[in-house]
Amino acid sequence: MSMNFSEFKKLIGADPGNTDPETLRARKSSPEFEEAAIEAEVFEEKLNRALHIQPPADLLDQIKGISQQPVRKRNWVPLALAASLLVFVGAAGLVWKQSNTWDSVESYVADHYSHDGNKTAAKAIDYLSDQEISKILAKLDAKADQELAGRIKLIKFCPTPDGRGAHMVVSTDQGPVTIFYMPKTQVTDGEMVEFDQMHALLVSLEHGSAAIIGEQSQNVENLVTILRNSLKTGLVDV
Amino acid sequence: MTTDTERTRRFNELAEAYSADLYRYAMWISGNDALAKDLVQETFLRAWRALDSLKDVAAAKSWLITILRREFARTFERKVPPFTDFEKVVIVDNDELEPDESTERDLLRQGILKLDPKYRDPLLLQAIFGHSCAEISEQLGITKSAVMTQLFRAREKLKVQLQKDGVTGNVHELF
Repeated sequence: MSMNFSEFKKLIGADPGNTDPETLRARKSSPEFEEAAIEAEVFEEKLNRALHIQPPADLLDQIKGISQQPVRKRNWVPLALAASLLVFVGAAGLVWKQSNTWDSVESYVADHYSHDGNKTAAKAIDYLSDQEISKILAKLDAKADQELAGRIKLIKFCPTPDGRGAHMVVSTDQGPVTIFYMPKTQVTDGEMVEFDQMHALLVSLEHGSAAIIGEQSQNVENLVTILRNSLKTGLVDV
Repeated sequence: MTTDTERTRRFNELAEAYSADLYRYAMWISGNDALAKDLVQETFLRAWRALDSLKDVAAAKSWLITILRREFARTFERKVPPFTDFEKVVIVDNDELEPDESTERDLLRQGILKLDPKYRDPLLLQAIFGHSCAEISEQLGITKSAVMTQLFRAREKLKVQLQKDGVTGNVHELF
């Protein structure tokens, strides 16, 4: 049974490049069909022109740069060793936490950073997935928008004066900077704490606070706006 | 065993073959050039890590689209700013279209962005990647007849949009 005009229009409207023999036969069956097919082709040309957007000139080079990154390969012997080490490090961390009851946020920041700030910053990697970031922040009822998430090179839980928080290393144009997010701790907004050639800016957030820590040559104030805009805190459902 | 050089070569071939189309696709689904760039980079980063799992080169295009779509759903969908003006997010084209053609192209672009994703998605897969209806059906997990209906309706909606905005089959009448 041959195709009627309505069926033909629907077919070429869905798939203008259709080269099915039956469609081609229908097209040639009358001028009306032929005209509809040409109209569909003209529209398709316009559609393709509209959809064609030039990608950024540097996109391909940036993508090719990805292949310079090492591929993580699973090797069970080091994993087993790492597991043992984790137990040890975990225990050490617990000792550090339990041995410290900080009498102020300032002493907490200095003590925490002296404990593992430099070591943690040195472990920061070039790429950390959003999933890894959101997994930790979600447990703290927070989430990071892309502006901040894109800068986070390392994130882990850490103790704070009032419970659990997040220890992050973020990239800036002046090098890596550390942020301690303290979901339940109040600070004096804008206070600067100095210790061991480092300085830390305390920032009040909608819920809780953060300390932005860098070397004294680094401008930690630059991160305040990004942190305030991009770190959504106090979220129950994230 | 695949050597690192061979792996890099395979990856670069994928990047050369598909990065531009993936960027276009990402642009149209996200409506934001910065997000689109992030999406494509993230897609290739994941592809690089999982490259050894891609056994069939012929499946690479669909594989990359799937990664990008998942990534979009997971990371970006809730962050897409409401779209208002195409000119604000699209790189200006350097082609030499006649004014009427350029107007029509811009109206079509606005129409594409206004399309419901259920119509836009199959249309983009077909027009940008050259997917067949069967491939779109597989990619989107809907029946082939649903794909056909949505493709037809997508084009009809765009045509209606153009007519509503005063552009008919003969745009020269506007000038």
